Amino acid sequence: MTVTAIPTAAAPVANPSPKRKPRPLSRGRDWVRVGLWVALLFSVLIWAVPLIFMVFTSLKSEADIFGTPAFVPPWAPEWGNYVEALDRGHLLTAGGNSLIVAIIKVPVGLFISAAAAFALSRIRFKRQRLLMGVIALGAMVPIQVAIAPLFQVINGLNLLSTNLGLILPYIAFGLPYQTFILYGFFRQIPEEIDESARIDGAGNWRLFLTIILPLAKPALAALFILDFVATWNEYSIALALLQSQDSWTIPLALQGFQSQFTSSYGPLNAFTIMSVFPVLIVYLMFQRYFVEGAFAGAVKG
Amino acid sequence: MRAVPKIIAVGLGLALVAGVSGCSGGGSTDGKTEITWFKLTESADSANTTINEIVADFEKANPDITVKVEGRAVDAHKDALRTTLGTSGSPDIFFSWAGPGLGGEFIDAGASLDLEKYYDEYGWADRFSDTTMSTVTQYGGHDGVPYTQRTEAVFYNKELFAQAGIDAAPTNYDDLVSDAKKLKSAGITPFEFGGTVNWHVMRLLDSLLETKCGADTYQALVTKKASWADESCVADTYSEFATWTSDYVNPGFISINNDESGALFFSGKAAMALEGDWFNQQVRDAGMAEDSVGIFAFPTGTDRIYGFNENNYISANSKHPDEAAKFLDYLTSAEAQKKFIATFGSRSVNVDVVPADQNAFDAEWNPIVAASTGVYMNNDQNLSQSETTEYWRIQNLVATGELEPSKAGAEFQKFIDQE
Amino acid sequence: MSTTSTTAPSRTSRTSRPRRRLARFGSTGFIAALPFLAPALVAYLVFVVAPALESVRLSFFEWSGFQGAPQVFVGLQNYVRIFTHDPVFWTALSNTVIWVILSLVIPVGLGLVMALALNRKIFGRNLFRSVFYIPGVLAPIAIANMWRWMYNPNYGIGVNLAQLFNLPWLADVQWLGDKNLALYSIFAAFVWQIAGTNMVLFLAGLQGVSPDHVEAAKLDGANRWQVFRNVVMPSLRPTTVVVVVLTIINSIKVFDLIVGMTGGGPAQQTQVLALWSFQQSFNNHEYGSGNAIATVLLVITLIIVVPYMVWTAKQEKNS
Repeated sequence: MTVTAIPTAAAPVANPSPKRKPRPLSRGRDWVRVGLWVALLFSVLIWAVPLIFMVFTSLKSEADIFGTPAFVPPWAPEWGNYVEALDRGHLLTAGGNSLIVAIIKVPVGLFISAAAAFALSRIRFKRQRLLMGVIALGAMVPIQVAIAPLFQVINGLNLLSTNLGLILPYIAFGLPYQTFILYGFFRQIPEEIDESARIDGAGNWRLFLTIILPLAKPALAALFILDFVATWNEYSIALALLQSQDSWTIPLALQGFQSQFTSSYGPLNAFTIMSVFPVLIVYLMFQRYFVEGAFAGAVKG
Repeated sequence: MRAVPKIIAVGLGLALVAGVSGCSGGGSTDGKTEITWFKLTESADSANTTINEIVADFEKANPDITVKVEGRAVDAHKDALRTTLGTSGSPDIFFSWAGPGLGGEFIDAGASLDLEKYYDEYGWADRFSDTTMSTVTQYGGHDGVPYTQRTEAVFYNKELFAQAGIDAAPTNYDDLVSDAKKLKSAGITPFEFGGTVNWHVMRLLDSLLETKCGADTYQALVTKKASWADESCVADTYSEFATWTSDYVNPGFISINNDESGALFFSGKAAMALEGDWFNQQVRDAGMAEDSVGIFAFPTGTDRIYGFNENNYISANSKHPDEAAKFLDYLTSAEAQKKFIATFGSRSVNVDVVPADQNAFDAEWNPIVAASTGVYMNNDQNLSQSETTEYWRIQNLVATGELEPSKAGAEFQKFIDQE
Repeated sequence: MSTTSTTAPSRTSRTSRPRRRLARFGSTGFIAALPFLAPALVAYLVFVVAPALESVRLSFFEWSGFQGAPQVFVGLQNYVRIFTHDPVFWTALSNTVIWVILSLVIPVGLGLVMALALNRKIFGRNLFRSVFYIPGVLAPIAIANMWRWMYNPNYGIGVNLAQLFNLPWLADVQWLGDKNLALYSIFAAFVWQIAGTNMVLFLAGLQGVSPDHVEAAKLDGANRWQVFRNVVMPSLRPTTVVVVVLTIINSIKVFDLIVGMTGGGPAQQTQVLALWSFQQSFNNHEYGSGNAIATVLLVITLIIVVPYMVWTAKQEKNS
């Protein structure tokens, strides 16, 4: 799974200040701003080109794709491309699989990571730092290194082409990174909290479940979103472990569709759009976790 | 040593399986036996429909058996076979090309069930011709049941030929080259190929090898009895190949695939395509006028035709070999084959099924097949997997001008020697 | 090293020492930690550590990967083979190195510039940020498809731009077919994908730059560059470390984009180690070679990353 950005402490950043009144005196600086703005707009347009290209193509009939320049909008949208993509692409089956995998993998994986991070940060035992280091090292192992033997392990478990057979390694490969981040976060929680809880007779589990986990909500929420996206997008493990079409996840279905209908450009682009739709929705819903502030304190050396 | 992770894995697995199993099915449910068939998705849509019809007919006649068809594109199918055969995820029936490089590899690995028992039971030996039977018995046992007998040749657009002032299909290699020249100077792409799927351009290289080396040397080379470095015809082959790819093949072929390049032929942008009998239906499906397309054998100068066989194999670890054999029996029966040949191409593997009311376009194959006395096979079927990967790498290096044609044969031989 | 005001004060061992004795029974020690650690450790051992070790072991064997096929011990032969005979290995290795180095320069630099530009109130800021960031949440395999279409030699962007600006040479560029260009064409898609993620990380880091320090520097007469060099850069250092490490990890195992765009072609010219290892094992059924390549990849990763880990551990001890 691709390691993406790390959120930890959520901090209210850049709080919206009351609207500034126009400052007539700073006109000179405003020109710099306008220049910057134009430059930004230009870059954003370039950045959007692939997306526009794809959306336009997905709505064009075959004749239009071959007959009109790519930048001409599809004046007569051809929604049939979407129907055709749905029809031929196993999109719904794959979407269902991806959803099941993500919905089970993400919370279970996070919980397991949080438990490990709790033990490593708040229960004292020998060599715990070393153990954390060994686990963190796992985040550095390129997945492809282990894929061929992993295939044998999953085959030995008789779990090839099953959702569970994918969930288990996904959890394992997500662990090092999540544990590392949560470890850093937990260590910032003052130890006095533990002690007062323990004086009240709380055991480790109560401390973990009722005090530490709730305090870690911001980090957990951000990790949840990032992990959902990473799980949804994962390709190489799924490629090795899922052979039956019924068990395919979205990226495999997309690649399968791509290899079968390469020259059906309209439906292919429609399929691509539909495949990225769920993560886009997740992104738009939880945007602030990604962009606004939630990443402050990201850096725990 | 492999056992250790397995034990841990099994322990953990058991704990978790209890929770989340049932996410994905398989095997038999409610008294029905389900057999899985891994096959290629046919390039013509109508051929896929035919397969579904045949399966539905079979299921109707055998209500206790369901056949789950899993179709994939060529490369995805090869990947799926290599990863699943011999494992619990293997299908009951798998399609494969029959040559030693592809099907042979699976049989060597023990992935195919010996079907002698079923050959006796169903009397299959009489159903298939000697040629197709030889693909079944070539590895010593009875492996697989014949599925198709493919022949490949050059499809050409008669209108584009006429535009370039060519009035007949070429009958020898020099004519072919001069026709390509004429087409090019008329502003028409002579030949279309898609380079991202390496086996497509390979057809040109194979055919040139047959042309330049002749049948005997071709066989000696692909069975590694002759050296690619020493035979001078190999260098000639690669230099012809370089000329074709730089001058007469659609520019940019290296970054598109066979589907995309096929579109060039269908839309009248390219004049020739080196394809097999499955292409008739694709031409039809693409809406080209059938009488505007002709077929001629690649003029190799030998009397062998380019082609290969495809068989369906039963997995060695299939839990339902009887049902699988029953289905394969139906698939190759006269009843099913009549439907089959209507969309699949020209010939049936079942000797009793002769094409009836064949249309003129499909009939173009008859003289080509009749004129041939043997077959030169696609080299990804002759060579082993890693040799094929290298064969393709060198082919693409030559095609992109990265490697001198004269050095290509030695480069390939170096790889063979080091294996 | 936390950068916000909301984070808690770090623990102070002095105050906690006398009370820890109270809590010792049942709440400390490895046995107490085990229930929390066990699921993670088991999963980690079974699905990460064991396969990684197994792949090292298999690199000394010759095996076709088929169940039941014999594994034959061949010593270092697979390594000899990939280092001396394998016609693709060195291409894949050098492409991987090029990829990592370029990733450290271009998307990291771009991300920083984007973050600096968007770290101020500016009209449409959120929209700009979103457009830059969105590619980072898309599946690489979907991105590969989009860019393959953009690079299509007959209908792609080159052809369209050529028409628009009347530049016929542009129409003939083989973005994915030219052996000298293909790797960089794929890399462009990678930049598009990852720069926004780096931007967000840098934006987060920039929140830790004290506005007071910036103001103070300005009052001292520092120009923009000096402010950046002397105030902003030092505060961004921890963020930069994170970005660099993430970039190395992500770029060393690039796979999806290449599979989706060229599959390593043309003529293996865009092959990288992760993909070549996979193809040797799964496509060519040379599990020995495939795992030898995987082991090389593992060793390279460790050579880069372990010194970093040791260094961070030291830093932590010092602080």
